[in-house]
Amino acid sequence: MNFLPLWRYQNQLIDGAIVTLELTVISALAGLLIGIAGAVVLKGRIVPLRFLVRFYIELFRNTPSLIQIFIVFFVLPSFGLKLPAFEAAAVALSLYFGAYSVEIIRAGLDSIPRSQVEAGQCLGLSGWQVFRHIILPPALRNAYPAVTSQFVLLLLGTSLASQVAADELFHVAGFIESRTYRSFEVYAVICAVYFAMAMSFKALFAVVGLAAFRWPRRR
Amino acid sequence: MALVEIRDVHKTFGKVEVLKGVSLDVEEGEIVTIIGRSGSGKSTLLRCINALESVDSGDIRVEGQKVHAGMPDLKKFRQRVGIVFQAFNLFPHLKVERNITLAPLLTGRIDKAKARALAEDVLTRVGLADKIDAWPEQLSGGQQQRVAIARCLAMSPHLMLFDEVTSALDPELVGEVLKVMEAMAKQGMTMILVTHEMGFARNVANRIVFMHQGRVWEQGPPAKLFANPETPELASFIASAK
Repeated sequence: MNFLPLWRYQNQLIDGAIVTLELTVISALAGLLIGIAGAVVLKGRIVPLRFLVRFYIELFRNTPSLIQIFIVFFVLPSFGLKLPAFEAAAVALSLYFGAYSVEIIRAGLDSIPRSQVEAGQCLGLSGWQVFRHIILPPALRNAYPAVTSQFVLLLLGTSLASQVAADELFHVAGFIESRTYRSFEVYAVICAVYFAMAMSFKALFAVVGLAAFRWPRRR
Repeated sequence: MALVEIRDVHKTFGKVEVLKGVSLDVEEGEIVTIIGRSGSGKSTLLRCINALESVDSGDIRVEGQKVHAGMPDLKKFRQRVGIVFQAFNLFPHLKVERNITLAPLLTGRIDKAKARALAEDVLTRVGLADKIDAWPEQLSGGQQQRVAIARCLAMSPHLMLFDEVTSALDPELVGEVLKVMEAMAKQGMTMILVTHEMGFARNVANRIVFMHQGRVWEQGPPAKLFANPETPELASFIASAK
């Protein structure tokens, strides 16, 4: 076991980790917006839109993420949409994260009692005001643990982007391994980096959760 | 013209007809208590008055305005008609002050600078000025219900509806809520209450309405109704409530 040959690749490893973080954060933010919009549609009354969102959810939750990335990277150019590897992976992972987020946020919205909505309506608030000020904050709190777990899965799943040569951490690992032939050392280091990032995010989410959702839970 | 005019209102849920032709007038400043067994349609009638439910047929008017779920100025109407629920329905993620000032701020009734003063004012009226910075979960049931009343008062309603507001409270907490409602009655607030608190109904209401099987079965001044019920149904109800 010798980790020293890896030392000279530290800059590539750091760059790979940064790309992984960028890919994760961009996909998660876009996916979260998709999730909120999709959940609102699912709770709405426009049946064709609900059917479309339901189809999207089932499609992305029941097909491999790798194939989704391949379709965006290899198939969409045939229809005139050619995206670089990072952007293609970001689009596919956003849609993947969004499909899970829709269901998580919908469950969060469903967890708010109807009586809360009525209380808001009875005070003369509009539908949007009731949603924004009364339903959304506690719904997000209820959805928060599941969203953050999904975020960590997304972080680990970004390694699939290596298959379209996006310069993220796992792709960099393959490159270093091909140069050093130190498979164990390379993947041990990569594993430790993923682990450290995942644990850091978990700690960060715990702190953010405490700060953002300060009200006491129901007894 | 009465403040509230209800004419031949019918309401059905699925195959069950809950209201079977209810007619009732409530004058300005009057305190009307609706009593009756569970399932007699009391709460449904209150929800119809506030357009939380649409009537199937008949007519409800408040201040001369026809009430229905699709009315164009429903939001403005609801600012004038406060309703307090059995389960308090405070917003758990907002402190007491924000629970009270949310609607007045969002509907443009007050600006930010006056918000805290408004919350202090209505909380003082319900005896909870010291709880302005508390979370709802930190309050007892009775205190939560008083905050819910204060939240309605902050909208300066012309009419208050109370839907079994003491039913979810421990017996020792009922008194504090009734005291607040009694004070509101003395100040001339028009109130329609659905309650099982017979003592309160007898002492505070101007008129008792007994609902039975989706109809107004009997109504009149409390003293007369409690002393000489005209129908065996009311007599039986009063006897069972004792």
